[in-house]
Amino acid sequence: MLAYALRRVLSTLPVMAIVALFVFSLLYIAPGDPAVVIAGDQASPADVERIRANLGLDQPFLVQFGSWVWRLLHFDLGTSIFTNLPVSAMIAQRIEPTLSLMMVTLVLTILIAVPLGVIAAWKAGTWIDRVIMAFAVFGFSVPVFVVGYILAYVFALKFDLLPVQGYTPLAQGFWPWLQNLILPAVALGCVYIALIARITRAAMLEVLQQDYIRTARAKGLGQGGILFIHALKNAAVPIVTVVGIGIALLIGGAVVTESVFAIPGLGRLTIDAILRRDYPVIQGIVLLFSFVYVLVNLLIDVTYTLVDPRIRY
Amino acid sequence: MDRRTVLKGLAGAGGLALTGGFAAPAIAQGAAARTLRFVPQANLANFDPIWGTQYVVRNAAAMVWDTLYGIDDQFVPQRQMVESEEVSSDGLTWTFKLRPGLKFHDGTPVLAKDVVASLTRWSARDPMGLMLKALQNELTAVDDKTFKWVLKQPYPKMLFALGKGNAPCAFIMPERIAQTDPFKQMTEYVGSGPFKFVKGEWVPGAKAVFEKFTDYVPRQEKPVWLAGGKQVLVDRVEWVIMPDPATAAAALQNGEVDWWENPITDLVPVLKGNKNIGVDIGDPLGNVGAFRINHLHAPFNNVKARQAILMAMSQEDYMRALVGDDNSLWKPLPGFFTPGTPLYTEAGGEILKGKRDLVAAKKLLEEAGYKGEPITCVVAQDQPITKAFGDVTADLLKKLGMNVDFVATDWGTVGARRAQKTPPAQGGWHMFHTWHAGADCINPAAYNALRANGDKAWFGWPTSEPVETEITNWFNAKSLDEEKAVAARINKAAIDDVVFAPTGFFLGYTAWRKNVSGVTKGPIPLFWGVSKTA
Repeated sequence: MLAYALRRVLSTLPVMAIVALFVFSLLYIAPGDPAVVIAGDQASPADVERIRANLGLDQPFLVQFGSWVWRLLHFDLGTSIFTNLPVSAMIAQRIEPTLSLMMVTLVLTILIAVPLGVIAAWKAGTWIDRVIMAFAVFGFSVPVFVVGYILAYVFALKFDLLPVQGYTPLAQGFWPWLQNLILPAVALGCVYIALIARITRAAMLEVLQQDYIRTARAKGLGQGGILFIHALKNAAVPIVTVVGIGIALLIGGAVVTESVFAIPGLGRLTIDAILRRDYPVIQGIVLLFSFVYVLVNLLIDVTYTLVDPRIRY
Repeated sequence: MDRRTVLKGLAGAGGLALTGGFAAPAIAQGAAARTLRFVPQANLANFDPIWGTQYVVRNAAAMVWDTLYGIDDQFVPQRQMVESEEVSSDGLTWTFKLRPGLKFHDGTPVLAKDVVASLTRWSARDPMGLMLKALQNELTAVDDKTFKWVLKQPYPKMLFALGKGNAPCAFIMPERIAQTDPFKQMTEYVGSGPFKFVKGEWVPGAKAVFEKFTDYVPRQEKPVWLAGGKQVLVDRVEWVIMPDPATAAAALQNGEVDWWENPITDLVPVLKGNKNIGVDIGDPLGNVGAFRINHLHAPFNNVKARQAILMAMSQEDYMRALVGDDNSLWKPLPGFFTPGTPLYTEAGGEILKGKRDLVAAKKLLEEAGYKGEPITCVVAQDQPITKAFGDVTADLLKKLGMNVDFVATDWGTVGARRAQKTPPAQGGWHMFHTWHAGADCINPAAYNALRANGDKAWFGWPTSEPVETEITNWFNAKSLDEEKAVAARINKAAIDDVVFAPTGFFLGYTAWRKNVSGVTKGPIPLFWGVSKTA
């Protein structure tokens, strides 16, 4: 197992290298010029040129790429063109809100989606099943920002229960931290809940047809035990897979959610960097997201061995 | 006890178990009242007001760095850091004396050598500074409190240049910082202004914090715009960056922020309906909308094609697309200078007035030799102003029988593409939309968009000798009457040659919680004189 995990971690290196090359090339050919944004509307073309030269943006592709890779090899993600701060420091400033949002969303999702899926499968074909599946369709159909605005209107403006926006670090207390994350997590989690509820239902329906479930029922095991101990455990592999895939959904959704709820996370940093063409920041974030995604896939593979003893590496 | 308190109590019980108690610092009522939470127009992504000239940087910089002079609401530069000035009878030697008690945020006194270094850096980037630099014989510190600027020829606009609020402003920094290459970003943000920048709390894209500088000695005069005594009445100002206007509106209504610099027009009725919120025009100098035309390529290299645009365009259409039915937010602009300011003139602006004449405009296009070639309109969709203008323009050009190649893109791309002089089919452009702060359009000093010196002009590269001659005359004008006469001639020449097509003059609102007082109209958000109660 350890050898497998090590092999997988090492295999991320070529993946990361390809991602790095791809991102750098894409940004190089993308239209837009940070020097123009920096210089402002009043600047002359000569001013823009001089800023571009100072930033090294007038260098040929290979020179720019070479120096970026050289810095990467020294664990240096570079410096933001705009803020003049190290990219790693900017990411460090923003990582806590994003991780918090993703974690709360993930917990909320699993707590809601898995029981919903299990109940829908148990009550397949009944009105309960139909209500749950209708909710799933709603979750898929309504964009994150619409859910976000509705939640903010109802729970913050109308009933004054939760704040509209912002983020409070966990170090300043659990409730201040959580109260800023509840609405965004619900908004972001809607699609995710719908997805996992549907997958759980489908996996459970298949498992509930198995002979050992009938045996369990025959020997008088309670419904809860059958559903959550025997059936759910055996339906867990596809659910775990989708939870993992869903991390990518969360990363994408976090970009919108963080904008709607003014959370100073990586999603907003990404948008800001793209709009300003802050190349080092974009490259740093994409690399980080790629690494996280590869890591999550590894964790899922490892989790398979925990939920299904037949799987060995 | 309200619902939130109950919920906090319930959830807090769980939190207490997890964290071992509330770690959140209790903020006393008084402390909260001394912190002003402000939503600025844009993200403060960098903080070097000479290197980066975006308005948002200038606005934040005006809190931290002081200027030698500051303009008042009559556009007259008033002494700020300067105690006295003296100009020799030939107008060539200016001697300035700093007022006593000036101190930088690091505790060191402001000296003449700091001023010299700051003006040297500023004059390498600012259009008026560049003019001064070209005329300069020497700029030297005479003693700790006195500096001297010796010129080769008189420069009547000297005090305006030092006090203007247009970016980049002549901010005064410590010598060691001001010695940074003006094309490289400085890393230390030490000024002598009424607020200190708290670099440790700066999260670009999210938050910027400014604390009251207790050693600041304000002038005794009444504060007016950038002039007068900058009395700070709060301990701390937090800039909270909110990219989403709906979120900012909700946060203001909920009392999570205190002041929103520029609410979008669509949300203003909601804010006006809230009894806890005050709404008024923010910047009385507003903005000048621009239909920027590329003078290098057909058909717009022919003045008749450009005049066809002026003849056909309805400024009301552009303004209504932007501000809707709120008539207090816009004015027609048959000229280029900001309405309500001394140099405002409509001389030569008849072509923009009255009923629009599509038939005559089509005829002019024909005479210009237009034969249905694609017209490349590069329009930023991520800016509400340019998006609205672009939709009107597409319709206008189609009505004129033009073949519109509408490139819908983002502002970053427009910024890069507009610098291309290549033909439109090869990555260039025919037109784009932008807008200019009215403060930049009060006179020709900072009005780059009005320059018509060909290759050296702003994007579109217009050439008009009459415009350039009159701009030079304005710089040499010695009285307001003389300036007004010159401005009328500039306006007429710029309309005759269609330097660009003005789409109208528009204003924007600002909104604040009613427990905040002292919010005044000005060309930038002014934080001195603003106070807050709990």
